[in-house]
Amino acid sequence: MASEPHAEVGPAGSSPWGLALRRLRRNRVALAFGVLFVLIVLFVLAAPLWANHVADTGPNQTHTLEKIEVDGEQREVVNIEGKPIGPVWLGADGKFFLGADGRLGRDEMVRLMYGGRASLFIGFAAALLTTVLATILALLAGYYRGWVDTVISRTLDVIWAFPVLLLGIGLGIALALGGLAIGPVEIPSGSIWITVLIIGGVLVPYMARPLRGAVLSLREKEFVEASVAQGAGPLRVMFSELLPNLSSTIIVFFTLGVANAMLFEAALSFLGVGVQPPDTSWGSMVGDGFDLISSAPLLTILPGTMIFLTVLAVNVFGDGLRDALDPHSKVLLEVHAGVAEPEGTAI
Amino acid sequence: MRKPVLLLLVFVLAGASALGLAACGNSSAKEGGTLTGSYASFPDYLDPGLSYTQEGWTAMYNTYLPLLTYAHANGTEGSEVVPALAESLPKISNGGKTYTLNLRKGLEYSDGTPVRASDFASSIERLFKLNSPGIQFYEGIVGAEKFAKTKTGGITGIKTNDRTGEIVIDLVSPRGTFSNELGLLFAALLPSDTPAKNLSANPPPATGPYMIVKSEPGRGWSYARNPAWTRTNGDLIPDLADGNFDKIEIKVVNNDSTQVNEIERNKTDWMQPPPPADLYAKVKDEYEGTQFRVEHLTNLYYFWMNTTVPPFDDLKVRQAVNYAVNTAALERIYAGSLTATHQILPEGMPGHEELDLYPHDMAKAKELLAQANPSDREITVWTLNESPNNEAGAYYQGVLEELGFDAKLKTINAEVYISLVGNVSTPDLDTGWINWYPDYPNPNSFFQLPLSGESIAPVYNTNLAQIDEPKLNAKIAKLGEEPLGPDQEAEYAELDKEYMEQAPWVPYGTNTVATFVDSDIDLDKVIFNPTFGHDLTSFEPK
Repeated sequence: MASEPHAEVGPAGSSPWGLALRRLRRNRVALAFGVLFVLIVLFVLAAPLWANHVADTGPNQTHTLEKIEVDGEQREVVNIEGKPIGPVWLGADGKFFLGADGRLGRDEMVRLMYGGRASLFIGFAAALLTTVLATILALLAGYYRGWVDTVISRTLDVIWAFPVLLLGIGLGIALALGGLAIGPVEIPSGSIWITVLIIGGVLVPYMARPLRGAVLSLREKEFVEASVAQGAGPLRVMFSELLPNLSSTIIVFFTLGVANAMLFEAALSFLGVGVQPPDTSWGSMVGDGFDLISSAPLLTILPGTMIFLTVLAVNVFGDGLRDALDPHSKVLLEVHAGVAEPEGTAI
Repeated sequence: MRKPVLLLLVFVLAGASALGLAACGNSSAKEGGTLTGSYASFPDYLDPGLSYTQEGWTAMYNTYLPLLTYAHANGTEGSEVVPALAESLPKISNGGKTYTLNLRKGLEYSDGTPVRASDFASSIERLFKLNSPGIQFYEGIVGAEKFAKTKTGGITGIKTNDRTGEIVIDLVSPRGTFSNELGLLFAALLPSDTPAKNLSANPPPATGPYMIVKSEPGRGWSYARNPAWTRTNGDLIPDLADGNFDKIEIKVVNNDSTQVNEIERNKTDWMQPPPPADLYAKVKDEYEGTQFRVEHLTNLYYFWMNTTVPPFDDLKVRQAVNYAVNTAALERIYAGSLTATHQILPEGMPGHEELDLYPHDMAKAKELLAQANPSDREITVWTLNESPNNEAGAYYQGVLEELGFDAKLKTINAEVYISLVGNVSTPDLDTGWINWYPDYPNPNSFFQLPLSGESIAPVYNTNLAQIDEPKLNAKIAKLGEEPLGPDQEAEYAELDKEYMEQAPWVPYGTNTVATFVDSDIDLDKVIFNPTFGHDLTSFEPK
């Protein structure tokens, strides 16, 4: 291979991943948002601790008629006009820290934490599903080309042609009543997995198409020819040669996919076709709070802010990750595969 | 130099006029202008043969007229049955089994075709062809049951004479409520060639003061004055008002806060339903007496329990649930617009006698449940997506969970909820939310359709609990044959108790309705009919 100028060459013995980690550590902004994301994850993971040991209530438990003592004064959780109690902070030893969520009198803080678990779980699971499906389809389409590529690409085009939110809403409504039953796989309606499958499936074209392009490009590289010449079959070429060279791209797509999936889930749940009540997610909490936006705006602002911060953190960290795992590393991966060591920058 | 000054003056005056016009608010709310309204969701149907919600009846009250109607008045005055397309109230003979009416002469539909006596027969037959929820009111007509099966040959018990306008209806047995039922929208006359299909997107010709000129299901609809009313019908039916606006435009605004906001800013004249729970208190405090008025109704909000499937096929389970539900909590969920009740007949309905067989007692509820020990504890709780009824459903689900059931909440779009839970083949129809607005101001309407075993139907089922007690069915039927009097009222009170002992429902409250209009509308002139809701012909600009 011809030498390429400006390649960043690390100390001798540095792996591509080591170099990437070093680049990432230098990106303070990405790291800061990465830390923010970790804090958010810890916040939602602490939900059972808060619910059982501080708030002493579950996320779906109603307290419409109850009274609590706040700084020595008895206050109704929901008054006769249906207005819920606002944030009491530590005035009631942590109970109703952020107030009640509406006329059902559920603890807003507890629901915010449990809602975050649902939102993050759906975000990650859907992004993982999208990534796996998109990678498989991209490898098949890009490697085999011909009619295989045509069938896969046209199918993706059909899905892509639908406005993604409308498609999600349509599927959500269709599956809301009867659930999903395909062969031995049966998912009851109202299950969180319905939302995961809808989001994961609908977002596949958005990842598969660019990955397919990358596969088509990599397929022409000499290392692939060499591998084929050595007798490697299609599956070995796809998974042992092509896939490692796509890994950095896939990782970046995955992190950005988490952000997209979370936003999509928030939209579906806000519209009532995502997470089904009484279960909650940040998106459904925004929708529930909308009914009380005039009298209790915090019920919408709080989950909305959590969605904003989480998506921002994932996006900024994802950008940082992409910069760290940038195309320079492809050169180094090729070096690792036995090609001549370059000098200078690859691109 | 004068020209520029003159030009400047013209511009200034034009600008001032424009600003003045803009500051006038809703300039359409003037006599002869356009009345604007908003609905939270599109009515179930804009077809008089199919609609079975107050929203739909409000929309068509002044468009489609039956032979009889209800007085366009508030409160108990609005419960009076008066002639509409018929010249007078029916002559009842043959021991209460024969009703004779005469069609007013010269009536026309909005498309110019004459209204004929035989249109009554074809309109009733259309209900059976549509499998309308209204057929239950007319199954007692001789030949109706046979027609329901064959859909051919006509209903032999309806005899009409287009030349004289005479309509004779023979019933299988006396029916004390039949005059009330002839006043329902289901019995509105339509041209005999009206297709037997849902016409919500293309409503049929009208006989009332207004006709629907445009319908966009899901988005809204518009009315214009019915030329037939202006030309002839209005003179023939002088007791019904003409209406004060030339046009009425109704749009669907899904967000109830937006509905309130538009009224407050005079962008819309009227909203249906009343302000949402979180704004109700504020709107009432600010506008009561000027733009807001509470309307008391005799309705009922309750949770039904399917008595044909476990665990609700066990009386002890049903009674346990009744003990477990705390109606005081539901009053809060409805932000004070609900009056708690724990029986079938609400206050204000003849036959009501205060009753509470199941005062809230969670310990008692759990004790009963332990005795019943149902093996099937998986329950699906149905509710619709409109606040606060969805929260009522969520509360109810929480109560069932507290009792030890594995209760799953299913929230359904309001526009399809009733048809979904009314279809007995819908899976997992265990229990759920519903409200009942009486079809007419007679206690029989709280029993005949929602509780009699004879009312159980495969689709458009109104007896959601599917309770079928022959002795109680017979009692309902007997009372239904008799005109309402003190003896009958006492028997209805007893029937209320007997049904609550069977506990097919968990009644929890009576909801008030409210009239909320913008500042251009004269609130005092607005009529709220207890059966049909707001009378759009009564809206008048100040």
